[in-house]
Amino acid sequence: MKSSSEEPSQENQVTTNQVEDRFDLSALPKETTSQKVIRRIDLPVQFTRIAILAFIIWIWQSRKIFAGVNVFGIDILPEIIPLFQGVPTEAWDYILKVWDDKLFWEDFWVTLQEALLGFTYGALSGFIVGMVLGRFRKAQKVFSPFLIFTNAVPKIALAPILILWYGVDIGSKVALATIIVFFIVQIPVMAAVSGVDPDLDTVASSMGANQMQKFRLVVIPSILGPLFGALRLASIYAILSVVFGEFLASKRGLGQRLLYQINNFGMGAAIALMSLLAILALFFNAGIGFMERKFLRWQDDSTRGNVVSL
Amino acid sequence: MAENAVSLEGVSLVFGGEDTEHVLAVDTINLEIPQGEFVAIVGPSGCGKTTILNMLSGLIKPTVGSVKRHGKEVDGPSRDIGYMLARSALSPWRTARKNVELGLQIHGVPKSQRREKAEELLTLLHLDGFANSFPSQLSQGMRQRVAIARTLAIDPDLWLMDEPFGALDAQTRLVVQAEFISLWEKSKESTVIFVTHDLEEAVLLADRVLVMTARPGRIKSDNIIDLPRPRVIDELRFDEKFKAAEHKIWKELRDEII
Repeated sequence: MKSSSEEPSQENQVTTNQVEDRFDLSALPKETTSQKVIRRIDLPVQFTRIAILAFIIWIWQSRKIFAGVNVFGIDILPEIIPLFQGVPTEAWDYILKVWDDKLFWEDFWVTLQEALLGFTYGALSGFIVGMVLGRFRKAQKVFSPFLIFTNAVPKIALAPILILWYGVDIGSKVALATIIVFFIVQIPVMAAVSGVDPDLDTVASSMGANQMQKFRLVVIPSILGPLFGALRLASIYAILSVVFGEFLASKRGLGQRLLYQINNFGMGAAIALMSLLAILALFFNAGIGFMERKFLRWQDDSTRGNVVSL
Repeated sequence: MAENAVSLEGVSLVFGGEDTEHVLAVDTINLEIPQGEFVAIVGPSGCGKTTILNMLSGLIKPTVGSVKRHGKEVDGPSRDIGYMLARSALSPWRTARKNVELGLQIHGVPKSQRREKAEELLTLLHLDGFANSFPSQLSQGMRQRVAIARTLAIDPDLWLMDEPFGALDAQTRLVVQAEFISLWEKSKESTVIFVTHDLEEAVLLADRVLVMTARPGRIKSDNIIDLPRPRVIDELRFDEKFKAAEHKIWKELRDEII
């Protein structure tokens, strides 16, 4: 419609209403609601997915994958002794067993709390530091070497020290997640702020916008895309960090339970716990995806990430 | 006698320093513009046309000399200046209407008033059906018209236009030029400084055309365009008086370009 003509008088003539007046739209193929639902669901795709899932569960449950797969002399899947084998039904049994267990849900809450706190502290501080350093070149120049060095430290290696400093309770896990999330958010935010279209800045400046108004009206909206990308990644890493922290030393938490089960050859339970952690991460990610869709309404669907993608 | 809307006295600007070489961008500019005049500045690229606009808008300060508006020294951005850039520079996350509202929002105008003003301007620029479209859904000509509306929404007393139609194709440009000139002719009291590399555009629109020299930019000549208003610009292009005026200025401009 918009490309019909540059002549403004004609541009305005072709509005939706008049298209309906001028053309017989009933002649166009029409879709009923149920047809639309079926098209959206896309049955062939769903059937294929279910078939693949069923195949994975079957080959696992039948313990065929534990027999070992050898290609050209390389053990792609080694042979597994029975003690180390775990199958989906054992995982399901564990879920049923702990479902009514109050202690289990306390552990769940501990891990969730650690991840949420670490994510929030890390994302907030990373966002603020990234914004300030991206905006003020002098500050960036001063702090860059420190940040680059700190980021280069293998942060997982900090975990034992953090446990000594913050104790074996949730503090040390929150601290580890905060540090890891901070860098995941700070670096892309700083880069995105440096890359804000200078023309948008000039326009706002010429209208007399102060620094706070420019942050609010130009900088923050400009960086939302990279920011949400970073937050999605950070949400996954927040859970990774707290599980690792719990592995090292902890009293409570799903990671602590997971390590206990593996140490006691509870392979089915371990599979169940890992699946549960993955589901937690997906919920986390979906929440961020929901906000992203709300804030980035103006972008094409194609340029926006999928809810499940990292 | 009333003060001129704009006056530049002995204005020079030196860029660079520190670790680059010093460059004299504009050299001893003296210029008086009375209120309500439409002045076009033409000159080879890099001659400091945009620099003059940046100094008038208060974004940069001259190295020497004084830049005054209504007899007062320019000191930082002012709320009654509308500055339009060559690129439309619309916020991609704002709808056309919200883009037009930007300046009013910065100035703290209440929501309902902002909306009313933006809709009025979009209608004047024949964009009333597109208020809720995002810039990516608009053609280039429409985007440029939204940028005009955004520039004029704050009711500026001085309009600074930096090659605003440079990116448009020839036909679209004629349409947008005509809309622009009729908006200005209606406002009549506003002063316009219009930078362009297109001499035809300058002569068609302006009361007065300044030709600048290649860097360092000086004012080479000051030409009054004595064509009647209101102007019907798509016809005026074929007028003999117009052609004579354009030809006279072209001879001066040619020496700077070639």
